[in-house]
Amino acid sequence: MPVPAADRPRRMRPWAPPAPVLYGLSLVAGLVAWELVAGRFSRVVLAPPSAVLRHLSVHLRSFELPALLIQSLGHMLLGYGCAIVVAVPLGFLIGRSERAFVMCDPIINALYAIPSIAFVPFLVIWCGLFFWARAALVFLMCVFDILVTVAAGARNVPAGLLDVGRAFGASGAFLFRTVLLPASLPFLFTAFRLGLVRALVAMVTAELFFAAVNLGAYMQAAANRFDSAGLLAVLSILALLGLGAQEGLKALEVWLLPWHGRSDA
Amino acid sequence: MTRRSRLLHQALAIVAVLIGWEILGRQMGDALLSPPSLVAREYVALVADGTMLSELAGSLRQMVAGFGLACVVGMPLGIAMGRSRLWDVMVHPWVSMCVVTSVAALVPLFLLLFGSGFQFRLAIVFMASVWYIVLTAYHGARGVSSRVLEVGRAFAASPFQQFWKILLPALYPYLITGARIGLVHAIRAMVVAEMYVIVGYGGLIHKTGLQTSTAPLLGLLFTLMLVSLLANQTLRWFGRWLAPWYNERSATV
Repeated sequence: MPVPAADRPRRMRPWAPPAPVLYGLSLVAGLVAWELVAGRFSRVVLAPPSAVLRHLSVHLRSFELPALLIQSLGHMLLGYGCAIVVAVPLGFLIGRSERAFVMCDPIINALYAIPSIAFVPFLVIWCGLFFWARAALVFLMCVFDILVTVAAGARNVPAGLLDVGRAFGASGAFLFRTVLLPASLPFLFTAFRLGLVRALVAMVTAELFFAAVNLGAYMQAAANRFDSAGLLAVLSILALLGLGAQEGLKALEVWLLPWHGRSDA
Repeated sequence: MTRRSRLLHQALAIVAVLIGWEILGRQMGDALLSPPSLVAREYVALVADGTMLSELAGSLRQMVAGFGLACVVGMPLGIAMGRSRLWDVMVHPWVSMCVVTSVAALVPLFLLLFGSGFQFRLAIVFMASVWYIVLTAYHGARGVSSRVLEVGRAFAASPFQQFWKILLPALYPYLITGARIGLVHAIRAMVVAEMYVIVGYGGLIHKTGLQTSTAPLLGLLFTLMLVSLLANQTLRWFGRWLAPWYNERSATV
């Protein structure tokens, strides 16, 4: 509901313009700085933003980049989906059972400590170089983040909520459905968001580290002809995609779970 | 659970995993998944050979340089963003974009920019870890209670004293947490960069992956795991020593 200007609480710094304007200013300032810096380098090494925008507009309109991106999403969604299917039940088990937590914690920590990319030689042996290997890498790269977040969330469900449910005679599946699940939605959303960002990162990693296809192949081709504008164009698409996924899920959470006040910005 | 039964359960779980791996490894064969008994034997040979450790030392030295640079740049930047609205709005959009971008996707560009030598690896590790350090310091700096700072002002502390004696100690837990998250990403980025251009420890993993036996490969992964756990634990100890009130404070990034 719009508040009349006169009724708004007085700000400490009345001259401060609203946030979107400032963010726009920041983007413009950053792009100008980049343009100036790029002018001192060769076009081969660091393309200025104007060249990147030209490259983007040409290849977005010819539908080449969007088509590649859509193909890339295939293995990303498969790996991400499998990770959710595996990690969410396991996370609940580890979070709600003290015995499971004690037993699994050292093993998960140990596996999580190994950079997922180091498993690439294994994935080549097991899954080959193509679609399945890429999906497997996406799975590996996001499953632990989801698992750890879900387990931590499930451990921290307020005991008071469950006690009230038990006091009113709820138990088993009914308690899970009516108390535990609603209390878990906030951290489930966090887990899905972190996992999706990781999965998007893994998507392009997989395309560069196995047989290069889709966006990975596009980037390698651009690198081979010293076309830094092409590389930066793909990078900017990936950055915007990641940011969009993250902010989109945050907005969805606010919309679906209005009772859960977000403490962090 | 008592401490003893915890340890017992953990030992049980680890033994169960090893037995399961041994059975699976024997059925699948050495070429697909080496059983732990074979890996252990191969590991002794890897250590005795010395290549693994010398490559590891070289790679870690470069990783530490990039990570140190990320701390030196990221911590002040995060604090500035947390305490000043101007810094926040000017830098935040770029930080949010960089933190979600894949490090692997930066590799081809950085190869053009820096070649494949020390600068390249430094830049990749820096770019992989700095944003997590910035964001954790930022969340910490935003959350410092203004009451604490007001006490300083009431006792006529100079701005320098307020920063050095009040703000910074309040931020130690966040700085350490940020460094820990950043270090995890720095080690990952080190392996990514090295596997792509096939140098150092990551290159060794790539080359070992082409052998017919998977035992040396698993040995290399085991060492990497030890290094990562040890580095993380060291930072945790350092945090407890620096700030005894340090508890696992994790900022959502």
